[in-house]
Amino acid sequence: MNNPALRYLIVIATAAVLQYTVVTQFRILGVSADLFLLIAIAAGMIGGAERGAIVGFASGLCLDLMVTTPFGLCSISGLVAGVVAGLLEDATMHSARWLTMVIAFLASSAGILSFAIAGNLLGRPDLLSGHLFTILGIVGVASAALVFPALRACRWAGPEDSLLRAAAR
Amino acid sequence: MASPRRRGRARITISLLLLSAVLLLTLDSRGSGPVQSARSVVLSVLSPLGSAAATVVNPFRNAWNSAFDQGNLKNENETLREENDRLKGDVTANSIAKEQLQQLLQLVGIPFVGDTPVVHTRVLSGAVGNFGDRIELDKGSNSGIERNMPVVTGEGLIGKVIEVSENRSVVSLLSSGTYRVGFSVVGTAAIGIAQGSGGDGSLRGTNIDSRQAVTVGAITATSGLAGSPFPPNLPIGTITAVRTNEAALESTVDISMFANLNDLVYADVVLWKPAG
Repeated sequence: MNNPALRYLIVIATAAVLQYTVVTQFRILGVSADLFLLIAIAAGMIGGAERGAIVGFASGLCLDLMVTTPFGLCSISGLVAGVVAGLLEDATMHSARWLTMVIAFLASSAGILSFAIAGNLLGRPDLLSGHLFTILGIVGVASAALVFPALRACRWAGPEDSLLRAAAR
Repeated sequence: MASPRRRGRARITISLLLLSAVLLLTLDSRGSGPVQSARSVVLSVLSPLGSAAATVVNPFRNAWNSAFDQGNLKNENETLREENDRLKGDVTANSIAKEQLQQLLQLVGIPFVGDTPVVHTRVLSGAVGNFGDRIELDKGSNSGIERNMPVVTGEGLIGKVIEVSENRSVVSLLSSGTYRVGFSVVGTAAIGIAQGSGGDGSLRGTNIDSRQAVTVGAITATSGLAGSPFPPNLPIGTITAVRTNEAALESTVDISMFANLNDLVYADVVLWKPAG
Protein backbone atom coordinates (compact mmCIF):
# COMPACT_ATOMS: atom_id res chain seq x y z
CA MET A 1 0.00 0.00 0.00
CA ASN A 2 3.05 2.25 0.26
CA ASN A 3 3.59 2.08 -3.48
CA PRO A 4 2.97 5.58 -4.95
CA ALA A 5 1.80 4.11 -8.28
CA LEU A 6 -0.85 2.06 -6.50
CA ARG A 7 -1.90 5.04 -4.43
CA TYR A 8 -2.19 7.25 -7.50
CA LEU A 9 -4.30 4.54 -9.13
CA ILE A 10 -6.64 4.64 -6.14
CA VAL A 11 -6.83 8.44 -6.38
CA ILE A 12 -7.61 8.28 -10.11
CA ALA A 13 -10.21 5.53 -9.65
CA THR A 14 -11.88 7.55 -6.89
CA ALA A 15 -11.88 10.61 -9.13
CA ALA A 16 -13.44 8.54 -11.93
CA VAL A 17 -16.27 7.31 -9.72
CA LEU A 18 -16.90 10.79 -8.30
CA GLN A 19 -16.81 12.35 -11.77
CA TYR A 20 -19.20 9.77 -13.20
CA THR A 21 -21.68 9.68 -10.34
CA VAL A 22 -21.68 13.14 -8.79
CA VAL A 23 -19.68 15.85 -10.53
CA THR A 24 -21.30 15.49 -13.96
CA GLN A 25 -24.71 16.05 -12.39
CA PHE A 26 -23.78 19.56 -11.32
CA ARG A 27 -23.31 21.74 -14.38
CA ILE A 28 -23.27 25.43 -15.13
CA LEU A 29 -24.10 26.26 -18.75
CA GLY A 30 -23.66 22.59 -19.53
CA VAL A 31 -20.13 22.44 -18.13
CA SER A 32 -18.96 20.54 -15.06
CA ALA A 33 -15.68 20.40 -13.13
CA ASP A 34 -13.04 18.00 -14.45
CA LEU A 35 -11.56 15.89 -11.67
CA PHE A 36 -9.22 14.04 -14.03
CA LEU A 37 -7.58 17.29 -15.05
CA LEU A 38 -7.50 18.37 -11.42
CA ILE A 39 -5.60 15.26 -10.32
CA ALA A 40 -3.05 15.81 -13.10
CA ILE A 41 -2.59 19.43 -12.02
CA ALA A 42 -2.20 18.54 -8.35
CA ALA A 43 0.30 15.79 -9.16
CA GLY A 44 2.30 18.23 -11.30
CA MET A 45 2.32 20.85 -8.57
CA ILE A 46 3.50 18.37 -5.98
CA GLY A 47 5.80 16.09 -7.94
CA GLY A 48 6.97 18.29 -10.82
CA ALA A 49 6.41 18.20 -14.56
CA GLU A 50 7.43 14.57 -14.98
CA ARG A 51 5.08 13.31 -12.26
CA GLY A 52 2.34 15.57 -13.62
CA ALA A 53 2.84 14.12 -17.10
CA ILE A 54 2.63 10.51 -15.91
CA VAL A 55 -0.40 11.01 -13.67
CA GLY A 56 -2.07 13.27 -16.25
CA PHE A 57 -1.56 10.68 -18.96
CA ALA A 58 -3.00 7.93 -16.75
CA SER A 59 -6.00 9.96 -15.60
CA GLY A 60 -6.63 11.13 -19.17
CA LEU A 61 -6.54 7.52 -20.33
CA CYS A 62 -9.18 6.71 -17.73
CA LEU A 63 -11.39 9.55 -19.00
CA ASP A 64 -10.78 8.40 -22.58
CA LEU A 65 -12.56 5.18 -21.65
CA MET A 66 -15.63 7.10 -20.54
CA VAL A 67 -16.18 9.51 -23.42
CA THR A 68 -16.70 9.24 -27.17
CA THR A 69 -14.01 11.65 -28.35
CA PRO A 70 -11.00 10.08 -30.14
CA PHE A 71 -9.15 7.74 -27.80
CA GLY A 72 -5.97 9.43 -26.61
CA LEU A 73 -7.18 13.05 -26.72
CA CYS A 74 -7.88 13.19 -22.99
CA SER A 75 -4.47 11.63 -22.32
CA ILE A 76 -2.81 14.51 -24.17
CA SER A 77 -4.96 16.99 -22.30
CA GLY A 78 -4.07 15.51 -18.88
CA LEU A 79 -0.41 15.26 -19.81
CA VAL A 80 -0.24 18.91 -20.87
CA ALA A 81 -2.10 20.09 -17.75
CA GLY A 82 0.24 18.11 -15.48
CA VAL A 83 3.38 19.37 -17.22
CA VAL A 84 2.22 23.00 -17.25
CA ALA A 85 1.28 22.82 -13.56
CA GLY A 86 4.72 21.38 -12.74
CA LEU A 87 6.58 24.00 -14.77
CA LEU A 88 4.56 26.89 -13.36
CA GLU A 89 5.06 25.62 -9.82
CA ASP A 90 8.80 25.39 -10.52
CA ALA A 91 8.83 28.95 -11.82
CA THR A 92 7.20 30.46 -8.73
CA MET A 93 9.54 31.74 -6.05
CA HIS A 94 7.10 31.60 -3.15
CA SER A 95 3.91 29.76 -2.40
CA ALA A 96 0.62 31.43 -1.64
CA ARG A 97 -2.91 30.11 -1.79
CA TRP A 98 -3.95 32.55 -4.48
CA LEU A 99 -0.90 31.63 -6.56
CA THR A 100 -1.77 27.93 -6.28
CA MET A 101 -5.27 28.72 -7.51
CA VAL A 102 -3.95 30.79 -10.42
CA ILE A 103 -1.63 27.94 -11.43
CA ALA A 104 -4.56 25.50 -11.29
CA PHE A 105 -6.61 27.82 -13.50
CA LEU A 106 -3.81 28.28 -16.05
CA ALA A 107 -2.87 24.59 -16.13
CA SER A 108 -6.47 23.50 -16.65
CA SER A 109 -6.82 26.06 -19.45
CA ALA A 110 -3.67 24.68 -21.07
CA GLY A 111 -5.06 21.14 -20.81
CA ILE A 112 -8.42 22.09 -22.32
CA LEU A 113 -6.84 24.12 -25.11
CA SER A 114 -4.50 21.27 -26.02
CA PHE A 115 -7.52 18.96 -26.16
CA ALA A 116 -9.44 21.30 -28.46
CA ILE A 117 -6.47 22.00 -30.72
CA ALA A 118 -5.46 18.33 -31.01
CA GLY A 119 -9.10 17.42 -31.66
CA ASN A 120 -9.30 20.09 -34.34
CA LEU A 121 -6.20 18.66 -36.02
CA LEU A 122 -7.89 15.25 -35.96
CA GLY A 123 -10.92 16.52 -37.87
CA ARG A 124 -13.15 17.72 -35.02
CA PRO A 125 -13.52 21.47 -35.76
CA ASP A 126 -16.52 21.60 -33.42
CA LEU A 127 -14.13 21.37 -30.45
CA LEU A 128 -12.83 24.88 -31.23
CA SER A 129 -16.26 26.51 -31.08
CA GLY A 130 -17.37 29.50 -29.01
CA HIS A 131 -18.44 27.07 -26.29
CA LEU A 132 -14.74 26.48 -25.64
CA PHE A 133 -14.48 29.80 -23.76
CA THR A 134 -17.32 28.76 -21.47
CA ILE A 135 -15.55 25.48 -20.79
CA LEU A 136 -12.23 27.24 -20.17
CA GLY A 137 -13.80 29.65 -17.70
CA ILE A 138 -15.95 27.23 -15.73
CA VAL A 139 -13.47 24.34 -15.59
CA GLY A 140 -10.68 26.79 -14.73
CA VAL A 141 -12.60 28.30 -11.84
CA ALA A 142 -13.70 24.85 -10.63
CA SER A 143 -10.09 23.63 -10.76
CA ALA A 144 -8.93 26.66 -8.79
CA ALA A 145 -11.64 26.09 -6.20
CA LEU A 146 -11.02 22.35 -5.83
CA VAL A 147 -7.23 22.29 -6.09
CA PHE A 148 -6.55 22.11 -2.35
CA PRO A 149 -8.42 18.83 -1.69
CA ALA A 150 -6.76 17.44 -4.84
CA LEU A 151 -3.33 18.48 -3.54
CA ARG A 152 -4.08 16.71 -0.27
CA ALA A 153 -5.04 13.53 -2.15
CA CYS A 154 -1.85 13.67 -4.22
CA ARG A 155 0.30 14.31 -1.13
CA TRP A 156 -1.17 11.12 0.30
CA ALA A 157 -0.47 9.28 -2.95
CA GLY A 158 3.11 10.46 -3.31
CA PRO A 159 4.42 11.56 0.08
CA GLU A 160 8.03 11.39 -1.14
CA ASP A 161 7.27 13.73 -4.04
CA SER A 162 6.76 16.67 -1.72
CA LEU A 163 10.02 16.00 0.11
CA LEU A 164 12.06 15.48 -3.07
CA ARG A 165 10.61 18.57 -4.59
CA ALA A 166 11.32 20.68 -1.54
CA ALA A 167 14.90 19.41 -1.58
CA ALA A 168 15.28 20.08 -5.31
CA ARG A 169 14.12 23.67 -4.84
CA MET B 1 15.48 24.21 -9.56
CA ALA B 2 15.62 20.63 -10.84
CA SER B 3 19.03 19.21 -11.76
CA PRO B 4 19.95 18.97 -15.49
CA ARG B 5 19.91 15.16 -15.22
CA ARG B 6 16.41 15.19 -13.75
CA ARG B 7 15.24 17.66 -16.39
CA GLY B 8 16.65 15.43 -19.13
CA ARG B 9 14.85 12.39 -17.75
CA ALA B 10 11.63 14.37 -17.48
CA ARG B 11 11.89 15.42 -21.14
CA ILE B 12 12.33 11.80 -22.24
CA THR B 13 9.38 10.65 -20.13
CA ILE B 14 7.12 13.41 -21.44
CA SER B 15 8.17 12.71 -25.04
CA LEU B 16 7.47 8.99 -24.64
CA LEU B 17 4.05 9.67 -23.15
CA LEU B 18 3.20 12.07 -25.97
CA LEU B 19 4.24 9.45 -28.51
CA SER B 20 2.07 6.89 -26.73
CA ALA B 21 -0.92 9.24 -26.90
CA VAL B 22 -0.36 9.80 -30.62
CA LEU B 23 -0.11 6.03 -31.10
CA LEU B 24 -3.44 5.56 -29.28
CA LEU B 25 -5.07 8.23 -31.45
CA THR B 26 -3.77 6.50 -34.57
CA LEU B 27 -5.07 3.11 -33.44
CA ASP B 28 -8.45 4.62 -32.61
CA SER B 29 -8.73 6.43 -35.94
CA ARG B 30 -8.23 3.07 -37.66
CA GLY B 31 -11.20 1.68 -35.77
CA SER B 32 -9.33 -0.51 -33.33
CA GLY B 33 -11.77 -2.98 -31.75
CA PRO B 34 -10.25 -3.20 -28.26
CA VAL B 35 -11.00 0.47 -27.59
CA GLN B 36 -14.74 -0.02 -28.10
CA SER B 37 -14.66 -3.20 -26.02
CA ALA B 38 -12.82 -1.44 -23.21
CA ARG B 39 -15.31 1.43 -23.28
CA SER B 40 -18.21 -1.03 -23.07
CA VAL B 41 -16.61 -2.78 -20.08
CA VAL B 42 -16.12 0.55 -18.28
CA LEU B 43 -19.75 1.44 -19.01
CA SER B 44 -20.95 -1.89 -17.62
CA VAL B 45 -18.87 -1.47 -14.47
CA LEU B 46 -19.85 2.14 -13.78
CA SER B 47 -23.54 1.88 -14.73
CA PRO B 48 -24.77 0.33 -11.46
CA LEU B 49 -22.86 2.98 -9.53
CA GLY B 50 -24.44 5.67 -11.69
CA SER B 51 -27.94 4.33 -11.07
CA ALA B 52 -27.42 4.22 -7.32
CA ALA B 53 -25.84 7.63 -7.21
CA ALA B 54 -28.56 9.20 -9.36
CA THR B 55 -31.15 8.38 -6.72
CA VAL B 56 -29.13 10.13 -4.03
CA VAL B 57 -27.87 13.03 -6.12
CA ASN B 58 -31.07 13.94 -8.02
CA PRO B 59 -32.64 16.18 -5.33
CA PHE B 60 -29.40 18.13 -5.02
CA ARG B 61 -29.04 18.31 -8.80
CA ASN B 62 -32.56 19.68 -9.14
CA ALA B 63 -31.79 22.36 -6.56
CA TRP B 64 -28.54 23.18 -8.36
CA ASN B 65 -30.24 23.42 -11.74
CA SER B 66 -32.99 25.66 -10.44
CA ALA B 67 -30.38 27.92 -8.80
CA PHE B 68 -28.22 28.29 -11.90
CA ASP B 69 -30.79 28.05 -14.66
CA GLN B 70 -33.62 30.15 -13.23
CA GLY B 71 -32.74 33.21 -15.31
CA ASN B 72 -32.40 31.12 -18.44
CA LEU B 73 -35.66 29.34 -17.77
CA LYS B 74 -37.54 32.63 -17.36
CA ASN B 75 -36.11 34.02 -20.58
CA GLU B 76 -36.74 30.76 -22.38
CA ASN B 77 -40.31 30.66 -21.07
CA GLU B 78 -40.99 34.19 -22.30
CA THR B 79 -39.44 33.47 -25.67
CA LEU B 80 -41.43 30.28 -26.04
CA ARG B 81 -44.67 32.04 -25.07
CA GLU B 82 -44.04 34.72 -27.68
CA GLU B 83 -43.16 32.14 -30.26
CA ASN B 84 -46.19 30.06 -29.35
CA ASP B 85 -48.50 33.07 -29.75
CA ARG B 86 -46.93 33.97 -33.04
CA LEU B 87 -47.20 30.42 -34.36
CA LYS B 88 -50.84 30.17 -33.26
CA GLY B 89 -51.60 33.37 -35.11
CA ASP B 90 -49.77 32.21 -38.22
CA VAL B 91 -51.47 28.85 -38.18
CA THR B 92 -55.02 30.12 -37.77
CA ALA B 93 -54.56 32.94 -40.27
CA ASN B 94 -53.08 30.80 -42.97
CA SER B 95 -55.47 27.98 -43.61
CA ILE B 96 -53.75 27.22 -46.90
CA ALA B 97 -50.59 26.05 -45.17
CA LYS B 98 -52.13 22.75 -44.10
CA GLU B 99 -48.91 20.90 -44.39
CA GLN B 100 -47.17 23.34 -42.09
CA LEU B 101 -50.05 23.25 -39.65
CA GLN B 102 -49.83 19.50 -39.42
CA GLN B 103 -46.14 19.57 -38.78
CA LEU B 104 -46.42 22.32 -36.17
CA LEU B 105 -49.12 20.42 -34.35
CA GLN B 106 -46.83 17.45 -34.25
CA LEU B 107 -44.45 19.55 -32.19
CA VAL B 108 -46.97 19.80 -29.37
CA GLY B 109 -46.51 16.21 -28.34
CA ILE B 110 -44.52 13.12 -29.08
CA PRO B 111 -46.74 11.84 -31.94
CA PHE B 112 -44.22 13.19 -34.45
CA VAL B 113 -42.76 9.72 -34.47
CA GLY B 114 -46.09 8.52 -35.91
CA ASP B 115 -46.80 4.82 -35.55
CA THR B 116 -43.17 3.94 -34.99
CA PRO B 117 -42.82 2.31 -31.57
CA VAL B 118 -40.64 4.02 -28.97
CA VAL B 119 -38.97 2.90 -25.77
CA HIS B 120 -39.41 5.33 -22.88
CA THR B 121 -36.17 5.69 -20.92
CA ARG B 122 -34.74 7.66 -18.05
CA VAL B 123 -31.49 9.56 -18.43
CA LEU B 124 -29.05 8.12 -15.92
CA SER B 125 -26.14 10.45 -16.42
CA GLY B 126 -24.96 13.24 -18.64
CA ALA B 127 -21.72 13.53 -20.50
CA VAL B 128 -18.73 12.67 -18.32
CA GLY B 129 -16.43 15.08 -20.10
CA ASN B 130 -17.20 18.60 -21.26
CA PHE B 131 -16.63 17.94 -24.95
CA GLY B 132 -17.85 14.47 -25.85
CA ASP B 133 -21.58 15.03 -25.57
CA ARG B 134 -23.27 11.83 -24.64
CA ILE B 135 -25.88 10.64 -22.16
CA GLU B 136 -26.65 7.26 -20.72
CA LEU B 137 -30.14 5.73 -20.72
CA ASP B 138 -31.52 3.10 -18.34
CA LYS B 139 -32.62 0.65 -21.07
CA GLY B 140 -30.72 -1.35 -23.64
CA SER B 141 -30.91 -4.26 -26.03
CA ASN B 142 -33.35 -6.13 -23.76
CA SER B 143 -35.90 -3.45 -24.67
CA GLY B 144 -35.18 -3.68 -28.38
CA ILE B 145 -32.76 -0.77 -28.57
CA GLU B 146 -30.04 -1.05 -31.20
CA ARG B 147 -27.13 1.08 -32.31
CA ASN B 148 -27.91 4.12 -34.50
CA MET B 149 -31.55 4.37 -33.43
CA PRO B 150 -32.77 7.99 -33.10
CA VAL B 151 -33.46 9.44 -29.67
CA VAL B 152 -36.06 12.16 -29.06
CA THR B 153 -37.69 14.08 -26.26
CA GLY B 154 -41.13 15.69 -26.38
CA GLU B 155 -39.41 18.69 -28.00
CA GLY B 156 -37.55 16.98 -30.80
CA LEU B 157 -34.51 15.01 -31.91
CA ILE B 158 -31.60 14.93 -29.48
CA GLY B 159 -29.25 12.27 -30.85
CA LYS B 160 -28.67 8.65 -31.71
CA VAL B 161 -27.69 5.50 -29.84
CA ILE B 162 -24.00 4.67 -30.20
CA GLU B 163 -23.46 1.92 -27.62
CA VAL B 164 -25.82 -0.70 -26.25
CA SER B 165 -25.50 -3.23 -23.47
CA GLU B 166 -28.34 -5.40 -22.12
CA ASN B 167 -29.77 -2.78 -19.79
CA ARG B 168 -28.01 0.42 -20.77
CA SER B 169 -27.49 2.48 -23.87
CA VAL B 170 -25.33 5.47 -24.62
CA VAL B 171 -26.56 8.31 -26.79
CA SER B 172 -24.33 10.68 -28.71
CA LEU B 173 -26.07 14.05 -28.69
CA LEU B 174 -26.67 15.81 -31.98
CA SER B 175 -24.84 18.85 -30.65
CA SER B 176 -21.60 16.88 -30.32
CA GLY B 177 -20.78 17.44 -33.98
CA THR B 178 -19.62 13.84 -34.43
CA TYR B 179 -22.23 13.09 -37.10
CA ARG B 180 -24.61 14.86 -39.47
CA VAL B 181 -28.34 14.82 -40.03
CA GLY B 182 -30.25 15.67 -43.19
CA PHE B 183 -32.96 18.24 -42.59
CA SER B 184 -35.77 19.99 -44.43
CA VAL B 185 -37.15 23.43 -43.71
CA VAL B 186 -40.85 23.10 -42.90
CA GLY B 187 -43.09 24.83 -45.42
CA THR B 188 -40.40 25.02 -48.10
CA ALA B 189 -38.63 22.61 -50.42
CA ALA B 190 -35.27 23.49 -48.88
CA ILE B 191 -33.12 20.65 -47.61
CA GLY B 192 -29.66 20.63 -46.10
CA ILE B 193 -27.24 18.90 -43.77
CA ALA B 194 -26.94 19.89 -40.11
CA GLN B 195 -24.06 19.25 -37.74
CA GLY B 196 -23.47 20.19 -34.11
CA SER B 197 -21.09 22.98 -33.38
CA GLY B 198 -20.00 21.98 -29.94
CA GLY B 199 -22.16 21.41 -26.93
CA ASP B 200 -24.40 24.47 -26.64
CA GLY B 201 -27.41 23.09 -28.50
CA SER B 202 -26.71 24.94 -31.71
CA LEU B 203 -26.25 23.36 -35.13
CA ARG B 204 -24.84 24.56 -38.41
CA GLY B 205 -26.87 23.77 -41.52
CA THR B 206 -25.14 23.70 -44.90
CA ASN B 207 -25.71 22.67 -48.52
CA ILE B 208 -29.01 24.57 -48.83
CA ASP B 209 -30.02 25.77 -52.28
CA SER B 210 -29.89 29.58 -52.02
CA ARG B 211 -32.87 29.89 -54.39
CA GLN B 212 -35.09 28.47 -51.66
CA ALA B 213 -36.65 31.09 -49.40
CA VAL B 214 -35.27 30.19 -45.99
CA THR B 215 -36.00 32.68 -43.22
CA VAL B 216 -35.04 33.19 -39.61
CA GLY B 217 -37.58 31.52 -37.34
CA ALA B 218 -38.39 28.72 -39.79
CA ILE B 219 -38.67 25.24 -38.33
CA THR B 220 -36.41 22.38 -39.35
CA ALA B 221 -37.13 18.66 -39.20
CA THR B 222 -35.30 15.54 -40.32
CA SER B 223 -35.63 15.02 -44.05
CA GLY B 224 -35.47 11.23 -43.93
CA LEU B 225 -34.14 11.04 -47.46
CA ALA B 226 -33.07 7.66 -48.77
CA GLY B 227 -30.16 6.29 -46.83
CA SER B 228 -30.66 8.68 -43.92
CA PRO B 229 -30.16 7.13 -40.49
CA PHE B 230 -33.13 9.18 -39.21
CA PRO B 231 -36.83 8.90 -40.12
CA PRO B 232 -38.52 11.95 -41.65
CA ASN B 233 -40.29 14.74 -39.72
CA LEU B 234 -38.51 14.58 -36.37
CA PRO B 235 -38.38 18.24 -35.29
CA ILE B 236 -34.83 19.55 -34.86
CA GLY B 237 -34.99 23.27 -34.12
CA THR B 238 -35.56 26.78 -35.40
CA ILE B 239 -33.34 28.73 -37.75
CA THR B 240 -31.66 31.64 -35.97
CA ALA B 241 -29.46 33.00 -38.77
CA VAL B 242 -29.22 32.66 -42.54
CA ARG B 243 -26.13 33.43 -44.64
CA THR B 244 -26.25 33.24 -48.41
CA ASN B 245 -23.32 32.80 -50.75
CA GLU B 246 -24.73 33.97 -54.07
CA ALA B 247 -21.66 32.89 -55.99
CA ALA B 248 -21.91 29.33 -54.75
CA LEU B 249 -25.75 29.34 -54.87
CA GLU B 250 -25.64 27.99 -51.35
CA SER B 251 -27.03 29.13 -48.00
CA THR B 252 -25.85 28.18 -44.54
CA VAL B 253 -28.01 28.51 -41.46
CA ASP B 254 -27.64 28.40 -37.68
CA ILE B 255 -30.19 26.20 -35.95
CA SER B 256 -31.15 26.36 -32.29
CA MET B 257 -32.31 22.94 -31.15
CA PHE B 258 -35.79 22.62 -29.62
CA ALA B 259 -34.61 20.22 -26.94
CA ASN B 260 -32.79 21.59 -23.90
CA LEU B 261 -29.77 19.32 -23.67
CA ASN B 262 -28.63 20.65 -20.33
CA ASP B 263 -31.44 19.18 -18.30
CA LEU B 264 -32.51 15.90 -19.84
CA VAL B 265 -34.49 13.64 -17.52
CA TYR B 266 -36.42 11.39 -19.92
CA ALA B 267 -35.86 10.44 -23.54
CA ASP B 268 -37.53 8.14 -26.04
CA VAL B 269 -35.62 5.81 -28.30
CA VAL B 270 -37.40 5.46 -31.63
CA LEU B 271 -37.28 1.82 -32.70
CA TRP B 272 -36.55 2.72 -36.28
CA LYS B 273 -33.95 1.43 -38.67
CA PRO B 274 -33.27 2.71 -42.16
CA ALA B 275 -34.72 0.53 -44.89
CA GLY B 276 -32.23 -1.86 -46.47
